[in-house]
Amino acid sequence: MDDWAIKISHLNKSYGSVMAVNDLSFDVHRAECFGLLGPNGAGKSTAMKIIYGKALPNPSRETTIDILGYNPLTDPLTIKAFSGIVPQEDNLDSELNVTDNLLIYARFYGIKGAAAGRKIEELLHFMELEDKAKVKIRHLSGGMKRRLTIARALINDPLLLILDEPTTGLDPQVRHLIWNKLRDLKSRGVTVLLSTHYMEEAFQICDRIIIMDEGCKLLGGPPQQLLKDNLEEHVMEIYSPDCLRLDNTVWGKWPGLRHESFQDTTFVYSNNTQELVQLADSLPLTSYHVRQSNLEDLFLKVTGRGLNELQ
Amino acid sequence: MNYSKQYRPLSYWGRINAVWYRHARVYNSDFLSNAFPPFLEPLIFLAGLGIGFGAYIQTMGTVNYLLFLASGIVVTSSMYTASFECTYGTFIRLEFDLIYDGMLGAPLSPSDLILGEVLFAASKGWLFALAVLIVTWLLGIITTPWSFLASFIGFICGLMFATLSLWITSVVKNINHFNFYFTGLLSPMFFFSGAVFPLENLPAAMRYVAEVIPLTHVVRMARAFCIPGGIGWYLLSDLGYCLIFILVTGVMALRGLKKRMID
Repeated sequence: MDDWAIKISHLNKSYGSVMAVNDLSFDVHRAECFGLLGPNGAGKSTAMKIIYGKALPNPSRETTIDILGYNPLTDPLTIKAFSGIVPQEDNLDSELNVTDNLLIYARFYGIKGAAAGRKIEELLHFMELEDKAKVKIRHLSGGMKRRLTIARALINDPLLLILDEPTTGLDPQVRHLIWNKLRDLKSRGVTVLLSTHYMEEAFQICDRIIIMDEGCKLLGGPPQQLLKDNLEEHVMEIYSPDCLRLDNTVWGKWPGLRHESFQDTTFVYSNNTQELVQLADSLPLTSYHVRQSNLEDLFLKVTGRGLNELQ
Repeated sequence: MNYSKQYRPLSYWGRINAVWYRHARVYNSDFLSNAFPPFLEPLIFLAGLGIGFGAYIQTMGTVNYLLFLASGIVVTSSMYTASFECTYGTFIRLEFDLIYDGMLGAPLSPSDLILGEVLFAASKGWLFALAVLIVTWLLGIITTPWSFLASFIGFICGLMFATLSLWITSVVKNINHFNFYFTGLLSPMFFFSGAVFPLENLPAAMRYVAEVIPLTHVVRMARAFCIPGGIGWYLLSDLGYCLIFILVTGVMALRGLKKRMID
């Protein structure tokens, strides 16, 4: 038994003339939490859908997809039998209450009767939804729906959990609760593949990530490592509506500093905070602050700060 | 790599049964408002047409008019219930509520969902036909014990209109387009199927049209089981028509809907 849960290489998927996934390759270890990062329209959801057979890749001899030994093109049902899927849009059964949603889903895996009852009780407890057992779906908040969708994905004790933007649109409490649960699952040996555009989420729970844009992989590795390898340690944000003053005559005096502007803010990067403070002192600035650079800076550096047409 | 039994998908019938069970559970969760209409509808029909027309028309051909009418409407409600289920119902599950997206996260394939849906619509067809029969038995209109078998013609009728409706659903982009199907196709079918008046005296061209209409064949079969001495070998050609119809529209529905479920 090898150590890989997911092995994907040279994966392509186009919708019409748009390449949603472009020569994507990545591997996920067993019991690892792996993150796909990228702006909206980067191809994260499409890549995940291909893994469980909801989307079909472009046919190619070069493409290999191996999900715990199975190929979604030939064995989608087996892959889904050992996986749990949390899709981006809530697609709970709005005609049924909370318990019935889980009961019906349990049946799709052949879990019935007392075994289903025990499992549902356990999952409602795990996702802290016990007091909502008989509530109709439309009376649940967004956070509760999301927790129930995760509970639903856990009904078969999956080996692989696939979550497409699990915490988008949720408040910080629910987000932290979900992160805790995912860490808990990982410690029990579940492989977690998630997509997100929250950098903090990736930093908090992912062992390794890849950053994607326009269907391509741009960078990959452990989040800390990526930061160290690709970005200066500190960044100074200068907010000035008239950025024009910071022209080349200024930057010429500070050859060691990398800078970029986005809308009304200029970002200056350096490994040396002293240098940043000296720059700030030399300029007639009213509003700036120096902080540690983070994954968000890296994300914006590699995907570009402007918006693309899909966002 | 081999996984324990825990991670094996269900058998083919197990999966279809699980999909059927989902629909049945939703149907039962609002049992009261779902259980009354199938009984009420034939009552209204028999009262409206039976008492109204019945005062003027005693017999239709050689058959008592009420018996003719009652035996005709055994399967028409099956047609309507299967059609509603597999047009508006399916479309909402597919496009608005994303129920199928959710189900496709479980070890089910698109064809499992479609076949489960067809079987559930047919089961409703059976139930609705049975409801009409119960009403007519209680009113003493239909008396032959063979009439119980007519409820299974309701199942066949449900299959036919489920596959036809799913095929139409697979090409419809906007839910309002179903209006064309209901008023343009099902309403005329209701009148020219022989359910409320016999086809024998229609102009020849219209008789041929009636023979092409799927409802005609199930109405004829259902009536044969409800009228004493109505059963005969001639019903085999109607049954043959139904089987071919189900097969052809079923294949079209499968092909069309799979494309809408898998990107």
